[in-house]
Amino acid sequence: MSSPHIRQPASVRRIMLTVLLALVPGITAYVWNIGAGILVNLAIASATALAAEALVLKLRRRPVAITLGDGSALVTSWLIALALPCIVPWWLTVIAVLIAIVGAKHLYGGIGQNPFNPAMIAYCAMIVAYPAIMSQWPAAGHADFASQLQLILGGSREIDGITGATALDAMRTGLRNHNEVNTILATSAFGFAGGRGWEWIAAGYFLGGCFLMAQRIISWRLPLGFIAGLGGIAALSWFISPERFPSPLFHLASGGAMLAAFFIVTDPVTSATTPRGKLIFAAGIGIIAWVVRSFGVYPEGIAFGVLIMNICVPWIDRHTQAAIFGQRQERRP
Amino acid sequence: MTTETVPPPPARLPAPLRSALIPALGLAAFTLAFTALMAFTYDATRERIAAAGEAQQMRLIDEILPRGQYDNALLKDAVTAAPPAGIKRIWRARRGGAPVALVFETFANDGYGGRIELIASLGIDGKIGGVRVTSHKETPGLGDYIDPARDRDKARPWIGQFTGAEAPPPQATWAVKKDGGTFDYRSGATISARAVTRALGQGAAWAAARRDEIFAAPTGSLIDADAQREREQE
Amino acid sequence: MKLQHLKESARNGLWRQNPGLAQILGLCPILAISTNIVNAVSLGLATVMAMALSNLAIAALRRWIAYEIRIPVFILIIAALVTVLDLAFNAYFHSLYLLLGIFIPLITTNCIVLARAEAFAAKNGALESTFDGIMMGLGLVWVLALLGALRELLGSGTLFSGIDMLVPELSAIQVFSSDYPGFLLAILPPGAFFILGCLIAAYNAINAHRAARTPHAPLPAALPQAAAATN
Repeated sequence: MSSPHIRQPASVRRIMLTVLLALVPGITAYVWNIGAGILVNLAIASATALAAEALVLKLRRRPVAITLGDGSALVTSWLIALALPCIVPWWLTVIAVLIAIVGAKHLYGGIGQNPFNPAMIAYCAMIVAYPAIMSQWPAAGHADFASQLQLILGGSREIDGITGATALDAMRTGLRNHNEVNTILATSAFGFAGGRGWEWIAAGYFLGGCFLMAQRIISWRLPLGFIAGLGGIAALSWFISPERFPSPLFHLASGGAMLAAFFIVTDPVTSATTPRGKLIFAAGIGIIAWVVRSFGVYPEGIAFGVLIMNICVPWIDRHTQAAIFGQRQERRP
Repeated sequence: MTTETVPPPPARLPAPLRSALIPALGLAAFTLAFTALMAFTYDATRERIAAAGEAQQMRLIDEILPRGQYDNALLKDAVTAAPPAGIKRIWRARRGGAPVALVFETFANDGYGGRIELIASLGIDGKIGGVRVTSHKETPGLGDYIDPARDRDKARPWIGQFTGAEAPPPQATWAVKKDGGTFDYRSGATISARAVTRALGQGAAWAAARRDEIFAAPTGSLIDADAQREREQE
Repeated sequence: MKLQHLKESARNGLWRQNPGLAQILGLCPILAISTNIVNAVSLGLATVMAMALSNLAIAALRRWIAYEIRIPVFILIIAALVTVLDLAFNAYFHSLYLLLGIFIPLITTNCIVLARAEAFAAKNGALESTFDGIMMGLGLVWVLALLGALRELLGSGTLFSGIDMLVPELSAIQVFSSDYPGFLLAILPPGAFFILGCLIAAYNAINAHRAARTPHAPLPAALPQAAAATN
């Protein structure tokens, strides 16, 4: 799907509602494995997004009802809530959503005009601004709603009891201590594929993504490109040195990989539009994510990959268009 | 308008030599004059700069060893350690000639962002008097709590837990709680804490084991570190 | 006539040709050192001194500087004076010197200094040139101060942290309560870009608002010494 659809509220509304519906399996697995705290965060994010969207539209003297009703702000806010750790204090969610809606979306001209994925701008801003809070994730099996709610409402963060290292964190720390991948994987943070409990959430996102592809809401090229990029470079490094690099399955099942593959790199506004461009764009995100995960200092690299590839979109589109129209390169001025 | 313009190049072309020589001489004259100015300033400020550098170093040492505990010129009473010790400079604090404490500089190469430089004091009783991080590249907001200036807990900064800790026995070191030791760390940033704790423990163990040798060595000498096992690099 | 000139210099430096907001010159120190108000103003004032001294020296010596070699001579004079400043900071404000570090010597390469030497001091009298240097520098100082204040306030909830290095009796002001979680992004380099962007937007908005109210006012572009360089 490409930009002409964006300006038609009715079709945008249908797409956005389908996307929200497709997130439900992942969210259900989230609540089941990790706890109901995520529902509170989703509510906070949604309310902030709708209020911010309405306010900015009013300030910009645009019709509030139509754009607000298209559900795009809601999708952005849900993606932010799902990308942030579900026990972040409420104000962090609010700041993140405000940065996405006001900064990343409307300062660039509103829906359809923003070059960067608003949810990922918000995630990057938060991970740079609050690295400590952003690396505190609840451990599976500590799904105590009351203590999660207390943290969300701004309770004391002396929380060693209920947080656990994420799979990516545990892997990175283990490797830094010169442990081998298999030794690290045997510790309690890990399940059969990624982080214990989290792999089911990834499976939920995967299910939702298949639904979106079946509905032709998203192009199969974007998730495939991302999975091929991340999985491909992970497989290569894993073959070369299996004790120092975790397997492609680990990379694809942990962190935000599945959420990103089906719901973030598939953002119709900020991703590449040509068929070949989509593959290149998504594969680039996967490769950058792997590099940041393996060598960077931040806990997750997908968001940085998305923003970097967002900048490249015009260039990718320009260089992948010629083949479609059968024109030769040198015809263009 | 009082604006004056720079004289344009002369219309009449002088001899090539002349046209090259005049700017060259001008440039040489300016260079000479301004080099003289710099040399004069350097000479005029040299002593003050040295004093300011020492005062800065003493301010740092004051934080880990109270000035009242010793009466010698600490910065003059220095020795160095052979590289395998993992210790750089050592200063010896004395009161009335009797040993009081050692101040030593050590470092950890295994910080999250690379090298972490430390300075610590070790009392004659074998206990740490204080520790400061003098340079590091840990992640802002995450691992930089090892520097008390960046530590959000101003009342009980993380680095303060080492004050009063007994130096480990020779060849041993310290560990954080996560590794079965006794020292705290902040969740989410264990690596920075672990690096500092280990480097400090090794440094303290080394200095405590050779305390008498260090105090007896003549000023400026190199403390032999044969016995110290090769420090783990990286 | 002369007073008119001084006024013009002041208006240019402080607003119309402001190095930070209009000419966008010398971004390196602006972005790197403006993490708090004390650092920002200290470096700003060091730049004022460098610009005043270099403009004074160049304007006073301009009759003896051959046209062909003027740029090397300007750089020579600027570098020498900055070195003198660097040594003076080292000797008299040592802790500040450690904090500003490489950015004092880097004033040499701040192109606003050379730009004013070439565009103004080489053509004007010593007094006017010194005044121009001070005003251009002060234009940078207030932008740096505002940027530093915003970054410090957002980032850590304080103002004037580190003031005790200059005046030991003073201490920082805790504006927000001490459990303010901070907003680290504002202190890190990206925050400098975002906040400077906001300041430039506000500056343009004010100019646009003024232009709309007085439609016949002369445009800033008509000024005599418009250095069109960017950093």
